[in-house]
Amino acid sequence: MSAPFYKFGYFNDEFSLVLALVIGIGFGFFLERAGFGSGRKLAAQFYFTDMTVLKVMFTAILTAMLGIYYLSVVGFMELSLVFLNPTYLVPQIVGGLVLGVGFVIGGYCPGTSCVSAATGKIDGMVFLAGILAGIFVFGELFPLLEGFYNSTPMGQITLPKLLGVPYGVIVLAVVLMAVGAFVAAEWGEKKMAARKGV
Amino acid sequence: MPFRWSSLSLNRRLALLAIVLGAVAVFAGDPYGGTSTRVSAKELAVIVGSEVDHVSSGELADWIIQGRVDFRLLDLRNEEAFREYHIPQAELVPMEGLLDHGLQRNEKIVLYSDGGIHSAQAWFLLKAKGYNGVYILRGGLEEWKDAVLFPRLAPNATPQEAAQFERKAQVAKFFGGSVQTGNAPEATAQKVEMPKLAAPAPSAAVPSAGGTKKKKEGC
Repeated sequence: MSAPFYKFGYFNDEFSLVLALVIGIGFGFFLERAGFGSGRKLAAQFYFTDMTVLKVMFTAILTAMLGIYYLSVVGFMELSLVFLNPTYLVPQIVGGLVLGVGFVIGGYCPGTSCVSAATGKIDGMVFLAGILAGIFVFGELFPLLEGFYNSTPMGQITLPKLLGVPYGVIVLAVVLMAVGAFVAAEWGEKKMAARKGV
Repeated sequence: MPFRWSSLSLNRRLALLAIVLGAVAVFAGDPYGGTSTRVSAKELAVIVGSEVDHVSSGELADWIIQGRVDFRLLDLRNEEAFREYHIPQAELVPMEGLLDHGLQRNEKIVLYSDGGIHSAQAWFLLKAKGYNGVYILRGGLEEWKDAVLFPRLAPNATPQEAAQFERKAQVAKFFGGSVQTGNAPEATAQKVEMPKLAAPAPSAAVPSAGGTKKKKEGC
């Protein structure tokens, strides 16, 4: 038995939808428990008063990265079958900026707005309606945007391939970056708290 | 102060564990297990065995009727045969030019040839080169002709079969084919006129079989 189970045909489309539902509920549950149902908490990240978002996200990245890396190294998982988003450099930078601005202004990212709406928060529901409107407008304008959307394609690249560095070295680099970010975040939070106290 | 594991908070222990795992990773090797063009024999065997890499002519016909554009249909025959007849939306790709045809590794690619041999060979080639969504049209163009363009209703068909055949006849009409009658083996040998290539736009009102689900990956 090796992962990814779906790609190896251990279950069918219907069952994959059931699994998606279960995993989705789990994902939403933990986002909510981390406090990400609150736009105030999320926006505080951008003012460096509460670094929870950074810590939770980096923890998730570390866990997933180490898990996938070691499962693949021991042969439990066929990494080449795991979907990799292709890189379109310029459109993705622009898209990232748009998402970031929306995040600061609205207090949510797409996933957390669902969590917030599900917990009954009105701002979350409004944000979600905005997302749907945005998707609709984007879809209608797509013929105009298509050229840009497909520009600067780089294929399914990864840092090890791009830099020509062994995978393990990148894994260690990301771990050190994350742990460094945790230390800096805790230090920064204490500083900000002290400044508030004055 | 001597180092004591028990005096560390859970967060620090986890951070330390991550650093250790990261350091070991430097020496643990490549998660892709060497070169990226490596063929996973097990994966291929599973795919071949479970036949998930096949698309039936009926499914393909539905996709074209629904106007789906999330796949690329490649015709592996020669130019002459392609000019004479090809399935709507198909692109002519000779075997030699397969890898230079600008295919994306995450695209859904459907291959067909006269029978199934060339598409099967092309399938292995693409799979070995890391193309993930490669499919073979089951039975090739032969089956496309028999099942989609010129479907045949057996004289001893049950009413239920006859009712299903009604839809097949509509699909055949959509692709410019026609219904064949009788089940005499000689009838198969009769020369049937291949449809002209000016295929109708995929918007005609043909009932589609319960909208095929589209699977999208990524977030």
